[in-house]
Amino acid sequence: MSPVIIILCVISAALAVTMLFTKSPITSALCLLGVLIMTAAIYGLIGEHMIATLQLVVYAGAIMVLFIFSIMLLNLTDSENDFKKKPFVFILGLAAGITVFGSIVYAILNHFKNEANDKTLGAFSSETVLALGGNSKVLSHALFSQYYVSFEVVSLALLVAVVGSVVLAKRKVD
Amino acid sequence: MTNEILLQLLAAFLFTVGMLVVLLRRDTIMILMGIELLLNAANLSIVAFSKSANMIEGQVQVFFIITIAAAESAIGLSILVNLYRNFGSIKTESATTLKG
Repeated sequence: MSPVIIILCVISAALAVTMLFTKSPITSALCLLGVLIMTAAIYGLIGEHMIATLQLVVYAGAIMVLFIFSIMLLNLTDSENDFKKKPFVFILGLAAGITVFGSIVYAILNHFKNEANDKTLGAFSSETVLALGGNSKVLSHALFSQYYVSFEVVSLALLVAVVGSVVLAKRKVD
Repeated sequence: MTNEILLQLLAAFLFTVGMLVVLLRRDTIMILMGIELLLNAANLSIVAFSKSANMIEGQVQVFFIITIAAAESAIGLSILVNLYRNFGSIKTESATTLKG
């Protein structure tokens, strides 16, 4: 377990908590951007270079620019503190969060405890991927051969989303 | 504690925080950001599991999830612009036209 990954994990957890509790939307957006960049760095460190690049280009680039653009377009200012008005809802939400986190952690620890008994490994170990020409090459080869149809369907879905968002944004509702 | 457990714990934590953002905040733009955080946590979990099992399928899945997330946020933000035009605010409590 490398110390760099621990530092990245701590930073991204802190940024996520800041995003939850800050008032201004632009601070939240920048914290989310930080979380996405830290996640991209973690992907890069564990050897998934293709996914790290995609995360940086699509998530941290395109999607976050869209969010910040619409915050500036709508001229959003600080929202008054949501948590002060209804402390009951806040406590209920926090209890739900602790329950969900606890059950996920229990499932994870259970999984890693039983892992040694029934672990089936795939064909793509780090050495095999390196011998085949690196992570990006292997992933691209899988995308354009085995998952070719899914790739085309996703490109169609993106086209529908582009047309749909333009229609939605230009429509005048009477 | 190994690398995989640490990454899974981080994914669980980010998922919880994203869920709390969706549940507790009342700006629609914050709700959309919470959904992005949830998707990011799920991606992290899938990639870490697929890496530890020496598989490539998880990364392909995450590629598709990232693409669909981009489409989802584009549509969500254009709905949000419409909401602002019709009600003058993007708070969830201001969109009460359907309320009986």
